[in-house]
Amino acid sequence: MNLKKWGFFALAVGISMLAAIYRWGDSAHSIGQIAVSGGGARHAAFLTTGWDRYNLIATGTVIPPFQGDVKVVLEGKPEMDYEIFASGPVIDLKLRRLPKFRDNTLFDLHPMDRLALWVLMRPPVLDPVCGMSRRDHFIQHSHHGNTYHFCSQKCLQIFLSNPEEYRTRDFVTGKYTLGLYDVKSGKRVANYPIVFGGSEQDANKHHQ
Amino acid sequence: MQTNTINKTNISTARSISIQSFLARYRYWIMFLSILLFLPPLSFLFQLTQDSNFCGTWCPRMFFVWRKGMTGQQFLLGMSRSYVGVALVFGMIFSSLFLGRYWCSHLCPVGGVMELGSKVIPKRLKINYKFVPASYFRYGYLSIFFLTPLLGIGSLCCNYCNFATIPRIFGAAFSQADMAYFLRTAGLLNLALVVVLGFFARGGRAYCNLLCPLGALDAIANKIGTRLGKRMQIDGQICNGCSACMDACPTWAIQGTDKAIIDQLACVPCGLCATRCPIGAISYGKSKT
Repeated sequence: MNLKKWGFFALAVGISMLAAIYRWGDSAHSIGQIAVSGGGARHAAFLTTGWDRYNLIATGTVIPPFQGDVKVVLEGKPEMDYEIFASGPVIDLKLRRLPKFRDNTLFDLHPMDRLALWVLMRPPVLDPVCGMSRRDHFIQHSHHGNTYHFCSQKCLQIFLSNPEEYRTRDFVTGKYTLGLYDVKSGKRVANYPIVFGGSEQDANKHHQ
Repeated sequence: MQTNTINKTNISTARSISIQSFLARYRYWIMFLSILLFLPPLSFLFQLTQDSNFCGTWCPRMFFVWRKGMTGQQFLLGMSRSYVGVALVFGMIFSSLFLGRYWCSHLCPVGGVMELGSKVIPKRLKINYKFVPASYFRYGYLSIFFLTPLLGIGSLCCNYCNFATIPRIFGAAFSQADMAYFLRTAGLLNLALVVVLGFFARGGRAYCNLLCPLGALDAIANKIGTRLGKRMQIDGQICNGCSACMDACPTWAIQGTDKAIIDQLACVPCGLCATRCPIGAISYGKSKT
């Protein structure tokens, strides 16, 4: 038995196992369907709180008989800055018909078309006491090396009276949804739940 | 009668040598052509199926992975979704059984980018991964590639995939969707793997040799088919053990002290060893042993 060889085998197993198990909390991949009856995702996208930018890859297939244009919207409170980009060839050689994407709308979707949307999300920093999104006039305060933002002196005082209670509440948590709406009827044709923070169990609760 | 047989054998050998020498001589051009046809900005082959990269119809890495809780029907649906990837993998394995790993050495645009990219990196900056016993590392990785989805505890595909990364390196210059791939930790990690195990690897093929699940499957086919088909091989009676071939091999598949030996679990028929051998001891053909 060659120790060096089997040592590298064990090393590969160890590193690969860690890589396979570890989840990067700033990104997720969600697979879903677009359907007249209201499609859904296979499971919720689970993201960890505390990042200043998130990245969701939402892929899906158009289930017959749906056909038409679809508006894509990120829904949830507090409102989040986001951008959506659709995968597609750099130069369309026009060998096959391709749905077009602009102004957050997918145009000319046909049954069995497949889509891949990249959603870049930038969550707001929150007042940890009242949960308001940060604005220019907010008061800054440092606590244990972290900077917090408060809408008023009142919130700051509440924070100072019990910082342990509030110190992790300045990030967005909870459920958001990437909703796809049929432009013609206004009906939702797909729904990708996104869960910020919590645990894996929280994500599973939102399974479709 | 005997003369006819000898003539036929000679003609067949000559044809084989001429095809092999063509493939060896123009390998970089074939790789370049493959890159041009597969990757952005043209993505010509992907557009034949309404795609723009390897993800989806062309994915050659996910359909053979069984996830916990999966039904047979879901497995088949996955195969039908990636039907071009399925054809690619089966075609690759079948051809490797008889001809060797030409997909890996000549046609794969992903391996091609890493090998050609490594040519522009100064030699003194390159990392020699020869100290890693490639087969052991590769199959340690492959076992986890299959095992973790089966147990439902995680997945390496498609979190770590150079087939997803390389096309987007090209696309990122033109497309915000491709750029978005790198605006996340996993994307940056994938990029780092491609750089460290590809561009900065001596020979440019360390990723292929250590972390490519397709390469790992293809290598098994290559090994199994050693006696069935044609392979790069060293004539032990001619070899003088000068080790020129070992230095040339991008997948560090040649080892030995007195005589060089090719490990068919790592060899891709790039032919670099044959061109470097000063005494013509290496050739491509049917196994003589």
